[in-house]
Amino acid sequence: MTTPAKVLIVEDEKQIRRFVRVAVEEEGCQVAEAETMAQGLLEAGARQPDLLILDLGLPDGNGIDLIRDLRGWSDTPILILSARSQEHDKIDALDAGADDYLTKPFSVGELRARVRALLRRRSRSPEGASPVIEFGEVIADFSRRRVTRNGAEVHLTPIEYRLLTVLVGHPGKVLTQRNLLREIWGPSYVESSHYLRVYVGHLRQKLEIDPTQPKHFLTETGVGYRFLP
Amino acid sequence: MPFDTSANEKHYSGFLRIALTVAACAATTALATPLLGYLDLANIVMLFLLTVLIVAVKLGRNAAILASVISVLCFDIFFVPPRFSLAVSNIQYLITFAVMLVTALTTTHFTSILRQRAQEAVQREQQTQALYQLAKQLAGALTVEQVVEITNRFVHSQLSASSVVLLPSADRKSLDVACTQANLPIETHLVHVSFESGKFVRSDEVRGMGYASLYFPLKAPMRIRGVLAVAFDEQPGEPSDESLSLLDALASLIAVALERLHYVDVAQDSEVKMLTERLRSSILSALSHDLRTPLTAMVGLADSLFLVKPALPPTALETAQALHEQAERLAALVGNLLDMARLNAGEVTLRREWQPLEEVVGASIKLLGNALAEHPVKVMLDNELPLLEFDAVLIERVLCNLLENAAKYAPAQTPIELHAKQTDSVVEVAVLDQGPGFPAHRRDELFNMFVRGQSESGKPGTGLGLAICKAIVEAHGGTIAADNRPEGGAQVCFTLPVGNPPSIEEEPA
Repeated sequence: MTTPAKVLIVEDEKQIRRFVRVAVEEEGCQVAEAETMAQGLLEAGARQPDLLILDLGLPDGNGIDLIRDLRGWSDTPILILSARSQEHDKIDALDAGADDYLTKPFSVGELRARVRALLRRRSRSPEGASPVIEFGEVIADFSRRRVTRNGAEVHLTPIEYRLLTVLVGHPGKVLTQRNLLREIWGPSYVESSHYLRVYVGHLRQKLEIDPTQPKHFLTETGVGYRFLP
Repeated sequence: MPFDTSANEKHYSGFLRIALTVAACAATTALATPLLGYLDLANIVMLFLLTVLIVAVKLGRNAAILASVISVLCFDIFFVPPRFSLAVSNIQYLITFAVMLVTALTTTHFTSILRQRAQEAVQREQQTQALYQLAKQLAGALTVEQVVEITNRFVHSQLSASSVVLLPSADRKSLDVACTQANLPIETHLVHVSFESGKFVRSDEVRGMGYASLYFPLKAPMRIRGVLAVAFDEQPGEPSDESLSLLDALASLIAVALERLHYVDVAQDSEVKMLTERLRSSILSALSHDLRTPLTAMVGLADSLFLVKPALPPTALETAQALHEQAERLAALVGNLLDMARLNAGEVTLRREWQPLEEVVGASIKLLGNALAEHPVKVMLDNELPLLEFDAVLIERVLCNLLENAAKYAPAQTPIELHAKQTDSVVEVAVLDQGPGFPAHRRDELFNMFVRGQSESGKPGTGLGLAICKAIVEAHGGTIAADNRPEGGAQVCFTLPVGNPPSIEEEPA
C-alpha cells in the first residue's frame, strides 16, 4: 500500500479516543478524530475515510442515524464500539449498515485485529471476490457450484448453499439474523429465527471439523452470524 | 306503597275523603235548592253529575262511587216530589235515578282510569329522572366508596330500603361488604349463589328475620363485579314489580361504574409499572455506561503502553499487563453486579427464541477463550435434542459462568465436561469438573448472592456467578442444583423446559 489508509474515530470520551488512535496508528493508518455526531458526519464527508470507528453513545444523537446518513452515499466500513447493555442498539446499527462491533471494554489487540480485517476487505474489493474460497478443509467453487471437503464433494441443499454464499460473501462481517432471514427466506420469515439457526447448524455439521466448537461459522450471540475464512 | 307519590291522594286520609265527599254533595244540594223553582230537575241532575266528576278527579274512585250514591239519594230526597222522602210520586223518576247512577259510575270509572294513567306516567317520569341522576352521579364517581355511597343513598331515597354492595376479594373466592356503615345482615350463601350464577336471587323466608332478601348480581360487560343486597325497611308485602325492575336497572348501572373504575385502576397500575421499569432500566444503563467508560479507557490505555516507542523496560510492561488484567477483572465484576441488579429488579424481559442448545454451547466456549486454555472441554450433547426456547444471551451467560467456575477451581489440564440430555419434559445440562468439589455444608447456600464455596480461597470472585445463573434459569422456568460427583469433582446441573418446538418446513430436495 502506497498511501496510508484514513481512519476516522468518532468517540466522545477523550481517553478512549487517545488509545484507539495509538492502536490504529500502529496499523500504519492516518487518523482523524471527532467528538460529536455532527462533527463526525462533517469529517466523514470532508476526508472520505477508509474506515469509520464509531461509538454508539454520542452526546448529540444516536450513532445509528449517523450510519444511515453515511450509508446514503458511502460504503466505507464501519466498526461500532458499544457497551454491553445496548444489545438492540448493536443490532440496529448492524442492520443499518455497520460492519462489525466491539463490546466495551476491549483490548487493543482485538481492536487492531478488527481494523486490519476491515481494511483488508476494502483493499481487496475492487477486483471482486474470487469465485473459489478455501477455509479449513473446505474448498468452495462458486463458479461451478461445487463444495468439497478434503477433496470429497459435499452435498448442500439449495437453502444451505444460498446461506453459504451469503455468509462467505461477507467475510468478517457480522450479519444480523434479520438480515440473513430476509435475504435467504424472504421478508415474511424475519421473525422465524429458528430456521436460520437450524440451517447454520446443518452447514456446521457438513463443513466444520468440530460442529460444536465452530471455527468459521461463528455465532454472535443475540445478534447474528459471522463467517471467518 | 313505595311508589305512592301522587300528590293529590297523599294529602287526604280515608276519613277526610269521606267527609269531603259528603260535604261536596251537601253543598251541591244546598246550592241547588234555591234554584228549584227556576231550573228543570234534569239540569239539577247535571249539577250532581258535575259534582261526581269533580270528586272523581280530586278524591279518587271510591269517593266518587260514594258521591254517586249520595247524589242519587239527595236528588231523590230533596228535589224529586214528594220532597223530603225517599218515595217517588212519578215512576219515571226511577229511570232518571238509574241513568243518573249509571252515568255517575261510568264517569267515575273512566276518570279514575285516566287519573291512574297520569299517576303512573308521573311515577315513571320520576323513576327515569332518578335513574338519570344516578347514572350521572355514578359516571362521575372516582372511587368504589363513592359508588357504594351513591347506591345506598339512591336505594334509601327512592325505595325507602337499605342496601349493601358486596365486592369480591382479589382472588374472587370470597365477597365482602364494601365500605359502608350500614348494618344490614346478609345471607352469605345467597350472595354466593347470585355471584356464581349471575342471576337475581330472592328469599322471602329470611326477610322476616331482618335479613336482606333481594340479591342482584352486578353484571358488567366483562364479568360479574359483585352483588347488591337490598332489604325493604317497613313493608310486610311483596316488593312491587316496579321496584324490582328499578333495582335491576340500578344493579347494571353500578356494575358498569365498578368495571370502569377497575379498568381505570388497571390502566394506572400499568402506567406506573411502565414508568418504574423505564426509570430503572435508564438508571441501570446510565450506570453501566458511566462505569464501563473509564474501565474501557483503563484497559485500552494499559494496552497502549505496549506500543510506546522506544519500548518500555520489561518491568513497566509487566505492570501494564497487570493493569490491563485488573481493569478487566473490575469490568467483569461491574458486569456481574449490573446483571444481578437487572435480574433482581424482577421481570427481566427474556428475548426467547427457538434454537439448538449446541449453538450457545459453542459460542460460550469461544467467548471464554483464554480462560479455558488450561482445560480441555469435552462437549457431550445427545444427538436428538429438541429445539429449546430461551434467551441466548442469558443462557450463554449461565454456561460461561459455570465453565469459568470449573476452570477456576479444577486443577490445570483436568478436563471439563459439558453434558446435555432430554429427560421427560426438560433438557438437563450439566457442567462437571475434577476439582475439589463444593464443601458439603454450604451446598444449599451456594446460589445465594455473595456466597462462595471456599470463602477464604485466594481465587478471585464475588459469589455472584451462581446467583446470576439461578436467576436466569428460574426466569426460564428451569431449576439449578449443585452436587459433588461420586468420583470427585463438582457438578452443576440446570434444566430447561422443552415446550412445543415450532416445525420447520421441509426444503424441496
